Amino acid sequence: MEILKVEHLSKTYGTGEAKVEALKEVSFSLEKGEFAAVVGESGSGKSTLLNCVGGLDTPTSGKIWLDGQDLFAMKEKKRTVFRRQNIGFIFQSFQLIAELTVEQNIIFPLLLDYQKPDQRKVEEVLDVLGLSDRKHHLPGQLSGGQQQRVAIGRALVTQPMLVLADEPTGNLDSKNSRDVMDLLMKASRYYQQTILMITHNEHLTAGVDRVLRVKDGHLTDLGGVRA
Amino acid sequence: MKHYLDLVKISAKKRKKQSRMTRICIVLAVFLVSSIFGMADMEIQSQMYQAVQTDGAWHAAFNGLSEEQIRLIRSRPEVVDSSLYAAVNYSLDQGYMLGGTETVICGFDESMTELMPEAAIDEGNFPSEKDEAALTQSAKKRLNLAIGDSVALSFPSGEEHVFTVSGFCDDTSLLTSSDAFGVFVSTETYESYFMDDTKTEDFQLYVRFTPFCGIQKTISDICEQLDINPDSVGQNTKVLGLMLQSSDPYMMQLYFAAALLAFLVAAAGILMISSSLNSNVAQRTKFFGMLRCLGADQKQIVRFVRREALNWCRTAIPAGLALSIAVVWGLCALLRILSPSYFTGMPVIGISWPGLLAGVIIGLVTVLLAARSPAKRAAKVSPLTAVSGNAGTVTAVKRAVNTKMFHIETALGIHHAAGSRKNFILMVCSFAFSIILFLSFSPAVDFMNHALRPLQPSAADLSIKTADGGNGISKNLAEELKENPVVKRVYGRSFCSDIPARAGDTDFTAYLLSYESEQFHWAEDSLMSGGIDAAAEGSGVLAVYMNSVREFAPGQQVELALPSGAQTVEVCGTLSEGMFSVPDGTTIFICSEELFEKLTGIDQYSVIDMQFTSQVTDGDVDEIRSLAGSGVNIEDNRMGNSEVKGAYYSFALFLYGFLAVITLISIFNIINSIAMSVSARLNEYGAMRAIGMSTGQMVRMVAAETVTYIFWGIVAGCAAGIALNYAMFNMLVTSRWGDAWTFPGVETAVILLVMILAAAAAVRGPSRRIHEMSIVDTISAL
Repeated sequence: MEILKVEHLSKTYGTGEAKVEALKEVSFSLEKGEFAAVVGESGSGKSTLLNCVGGLDTPTSGKIWLDGQDLFAMKEKKRTVFRRQNIGFIFQSFQLIAELTVEQNIIFPLLLDYQKPDQRKVEEVLDVLGLSDRKHHLPGQLSGGQQQRVAIGRALVTQPMLVLADEPTGNLDSKNSRDVMDLLMKASRYYQQTILMITHNEHLTAGVDRVLRVKDGHLTDLGGVRA
Repeated sequence: MKHYLDLVKISAKKRKKQSRMTRICIVLAVFLVSSIFGMADMEIQSQMYQAVQTDGAWHAAFNGLSEEQIRLIRSRPEVVDSSLYAAVNYSLDQGYMLGGTETVICGFDESMTELMPEAAIDEGNFPSEKDEAALTQSAKKRLNLAIGDSVALSFPSGEEHVFTVSGFCDDTSLLTSSDAFGVFVSTETYESYFMDDTKTEDFQLYVRFTPFCGIQKTISDICEQLDINPDSVGQNTKVLGLMLQSSDPYMMQLYFAAALLAFLVAAAGILMISSSLNSNVAQRTKFFGMLRCLGADQKQIVRFVRREALNWCRTAIPAGLALSIAVVWGLCALLRILSPSYFTGMPVIGISWPGLLAGVIIGLVTVLLAARSPAKRAAKVSPLTAVSGNAGTVTAVKRAVNTKMFHIETALGIHHAAGSRKNFILMVCSFAFSIILFLSFSPAVDFMNHALRPLQPSAADLSIKTADGGNGISKNLAEELKENPVVKRVYGRSFCSDIPARAGDTDFTAYLLSYESEQFHWAEDSLMSGGIDAAAEGSGVLAVYMNSVREFAPGQQVELALPSGAQTVEVCGTLSEGMFSVPDGTTIFICSEELFEKLTGIDQYSVIDMQFTSQVTDGDVDEIRSLAGSGVNIEDNRMGNSEVKGAYYSFALFLYGFLAVITLISIFNIINSIAMSVSARLNEYGAMRAIGMSTGQMVRMVAAETVTYIFWGIVAGCAAGIALNYAMFNMLVTSRWGDAWTFPGVETAVILLVMILAAAAAVRGPSRRIHEMSIVDTISAL
């Protein structure tokens, strides 16, 4: 089942001599439960691709469908709610809210929807993340790896259609990087979670279903590599 | 870049917006302090100018001195000017007449003109010869005199003495309002012709001391050394008070009140700058961590923050001072427009050096002191902060948000405000201070209304009165005066005194007065019960309560025994006061002109009052004088009215100016502080937007933060402000006039409304920024 469909996506910054074509006619799609990695050099356009797919940035041309819905046909307000409910984000710098505890950070997207979180589910996520004993801690009291695990929990708690991860291991050491990748892998395999991850570290693509390479704004599908 | 401190300029360029907000805070604080101190200084200068013009520049007046005592006082080094002074016929009932007009005779030394500018000779010379005299301008005009003319002054005994006119000087308000002349002679001439007792009894020695000699101590030294009774020494309380040299207990209380207000203003300035610097440094924890990471030691960070603060001062302090100068000039210009005759002596573009100095000191010292704490805090930032992941962290968070009571955005907003105790206290205090300042200054309005009674709308510029107090002025004169283009309003009154009256079983004596429509209209302000209409239409009378021993109720019948026979009138309303002064205990009834004529048969006025347009000249008044003819007294109150108006305008303008500045600063402070707080968290907001927070939720979060500050600011401000309002009211009003303090409801409502509107405006700006915020740019900046 096709979850994400990107067609002829282009993104251009600036005009005249300062014009930069970050994405050129990019097209691809992701099936449900697929774990794809986007690799490329720094400045190749991979973050732009992720921002456009996540509805954070508006493409210059092209279309993006998520579960059959045209992302940019929606009004800004509707897109925000749609994003909140259907897309989970994981950032390189975690982006946790310093004033919220581990548990509160994880349920933050639910709270934004004024939903009462299912405590059993939350406990289960905490357990999977290995953060049950840290649920009342503030982000400042956690290690980098733990913080990124919280961010993963926050991205997964709404059971979104798509999780976008932007260099999720960029700020972590090798052990924590491995832990984070294991978690993402687990989410993909056991919960059929569709994940699109950006990384410049090609070693991390070892276990993913597909690898997409972005170079000078062009996207090439390198196919599946999952063992 | 040659020195690490050069980074200050580079950093300022990169962080223009945040720097601008901190600069605005310093500008506002300096503006607040220097404009309030500047306005106070200009008000003191203006009051001093007026006090010198009306009361004279003398400091002390010694009575009953011997020649030797006079010589000893005059020889003291602290004495700058001195003059002997004596006056006769001050009460205008002793029979000294010039051309048939009561005349005040004053004798003094030429040096008196330094001590009493009113006595300065405008034309000609001081009367130095024995038979010379200087006359007031009104005498010159009305008697058609010129310098060198002879003028005969008649004495109470009927004798006449001829003086040669040596010069002319200005009228005083007392003389013009009493339609009297003034004759000024030398002390020798006075001794020869007017002295009733010995010189010791008659003359006073007016003295002006050097300004900083400690006048009270000098006076008590003189009294002690020359064996003078201190109670016999008169003091120019107003001038001494304005020089901060009065020992009058009430003045001391005023000084204390002024010092308290000055302290509050300075504290408000300090708080505003402190909270701004605190917020500015707090939002750059990561930057300072990075500096520490690169090897900067704690002292270098402290120096960096201090240099940065001084850098802001370089432009912010002059800007604050320039703004305050502009405001003070604007107020001075306004005063000159409102009351040109009264404020001629006021500098058009006066600069208040004490105000500017206060602004610079408060600005500079506060910035340096306020920079100490954030600088220390910045220096304590761990190098680890720079490399840790939580870039959105503005302050070190110690407590988690309570998401159980409120929606997440509201809970976060409240936590943003109250999360950091120090920041919360500073912000709340800086908002509370606006209320405290406003409520502390507001009793000064009551003080002003007691100390300087505003000119009544009915106050006449010129009154034509019958010399005998009877009704001898034709109503046609009033009609003729109405045609005069310089006359704005004309309103006459007829008067019938000593009417035997009876209300119920009580007999008493009443006065009956007539009003025309204009006076009935003014009377509405003093209506206590009933209505005016019946009296204005001629079917009833108004009873005046003022000075009365009797109380009347609407509908009460009163029988008046008039020469034409007994007449019954019905009281249709009661007034608290009237436009006239009558003996205590007198009962006054007011009726329409038609009813008055019907009751008394009198169809003439006793008094015609008029108000002029601003174009009136002395020539116009002379014309009216000749139109009124003889047998009437003309009271020219223009000068006195102008003095009352001027003094009231000046105080009112500066006082309301203070309140306006405080209000304005409150508004800017709230808007700027909230904008700063939002700027500080913009990156964090970007992350929240990315996760899915809607713009509406973001706005509610900022609103919750603002409301938290404002709510606690209002609580703290009202608690302290109302207590201070009570204390100030007691000091300024209750101790002098005995009025009981009442809850300042209107003042509190005004400042609270201002705070709430400012808070709404404060949320609006950041809301717009949040709407326009690019999530990608914000995230990328992290």
